[in-house]
Amino acid sequence: MESVNAGFSLMLIGMGVVFSFLTLLVFCISVSSKLINRFFPEPTATTHSANEDVTQAETVAAISAAVHQYRQSKV
Amino acid sequence: MEGLLKLWNDTGIANFTWGQGIMILVGLALLYLAIAKKFEPLLLVTIGFGGILANIPNAGLALDAVENAIASGQLDSLVAIASALDVSVTGAEPLAKAYANAGQAHHLAALQVARDLGYENGMLYNFYTVAVASGAAPLIIFMGVGAMTDFGALIANPRTLFLGAAAQFGIFATLLGALALDMLPGFDFTLKDASAIAIIGGADGPTAIFLASRLAPELLGAIAVAAYSYMALVPIIQPPIMKLFTSEQERAIEMKQLRHVSQREKIVFPILVLILCAVFLPSAAPLIGMFCFGNLMKECGVVDRLSNTTQNSLINIVTIFLGLSVGSKLSADKFLALETLGILALGAAAFSIGTASGVLMAKLMGKFSQHPINPLIGAAGVSAVPMAARVVNKVGLQANPHNFLLMHAMGPNVAGVIGSAVAAGVLLAIVG
Repeated sequence: MESVNAGFSLMLIGMGVVFSFLTLLVFCISVSSKLINRFFPEPTATTHSANEDVTQAETVAAISAAVHQYRQSKV
Repeated sequence: MEGLLKLWNDTGIANFTWGQGIMILVGLALLYLAIAKKFEPLLLVTIGFGGILANIPNAGLALDAVENAIASGQLDSLVAIASALDVSVTGAEPLAKAYANAGQAHHLAALQVARDLGYENGMLYNFYTVAVASGAAPLIIFMGVGAMTDFGALIANPRTLFLGAAAQFGIFATLLGALALDMLPGFDFTLKDASAIAIIGGADGPTAIFLASRLAPELLGAIAVAAYSYMALVPIIQPPIMKLFTSEQERAIEMKQLRHVSQREKIVFPILVLILCAVFLPSAAPLIGMFCFGNLMKECGVVDRLSNTTQNSLINIVTIFLGLSVGSKLSADKFLALETLGILALGAAAFSIGTASGVLMAKLMGKFSQHPINPLIGAAGVSAVPMAARVVNKVGLQANPHNFLLMHAMGPNVAGVIGSAVAAGVLLAIVG
């Protein structure tokens, strides 16, 4: 019985430490992610998105033209 | 004629004991599971073969020089060892027991006497001393696992760490179970034994072997076999438990796509974990330190050669020696005991409780979260990377064929690895 009591306290301490350590880690990851993305953003990310907008517009135009043609050919 | 008799007395048939025969069958069964059923083949082939080698009669591959001298049964050897140990027992068995219980100084004296008599350490015993008793092999494997792990999913959604934490409840519930078993006749688990058995619930092979080698080396064979067998059985053990605690609707919940994680965040992550470990939980430093080192090598991008070696050739080489060393602990007197059955039962309980608590935690988090959370991903909190995450994905697809949970489940999955390393650190600090 004594050992089971020791097991209970070990369980409380253990789960407590695991949860508090990982909670702390959640907090640190969130803060560091915000800091990194704010002050040290990836240099390539910004130039890419501008290009992507253009290509996306072109793609959308090409697809809608194709759909239009297909629908007309069907009628 | 005398020569022929000597040769016969040296054959395996003349010296087989029942225990050795059964243990060789156990080794063959592990080989069968690995080769025909593809159960964790990297580990079970090596462990199974090591187990067979360790039980070859008269070869003494898993014994040290003194044990080999005792096993030889030569009267003059026995007398010399007994006098070195300062005991007055005759007969091999009581002498072996006296040797096992002797202190370091008597061990050394007996070892020197045995060496003088011409006995040597067995090959597997040497492997075990270098690879496992030193703690090196499981830690090197953990470094390799770190070098293979992508923390992107975890960094994108750090709250999944709570799921990895909740699943560790399986470890501590099993600890209680082992201590309760101790009260039954036939079981004899100390607090150290119970802790080493409980870590099976961490579903992490290297962590289990590391902790067992520190806390309960005599149970290492059974613990390692149980840990790897259950990791292979994750696709069978987990789905019924996951379905028991969730409704069809909950399983069909779709989750928001994860954001992109930059390389800089991934480089900072292992350093962050290491600093937290150094500040708050130094007893987990061997495991977490090697894990973070491996991960940093992968993510920093400037030491690709080291990273490639760590996650390929090095981890393969170490796996061979780790498996053979663990196999050397599959000796009849240790493995063919009621306690092994207890360990196998407790291991299954540990997995099931860990899965259930992960799922329940995910349901709880879903109640308070603004983004929907599929409770299935909680089941991936019992490490077993990446098998548990794949199981989550599969069960999710059964409920909703457009629901791909794999990336979402990778977060709690790798969180489980950190969680079980932290739990191992707590157990080492308090019990060790």
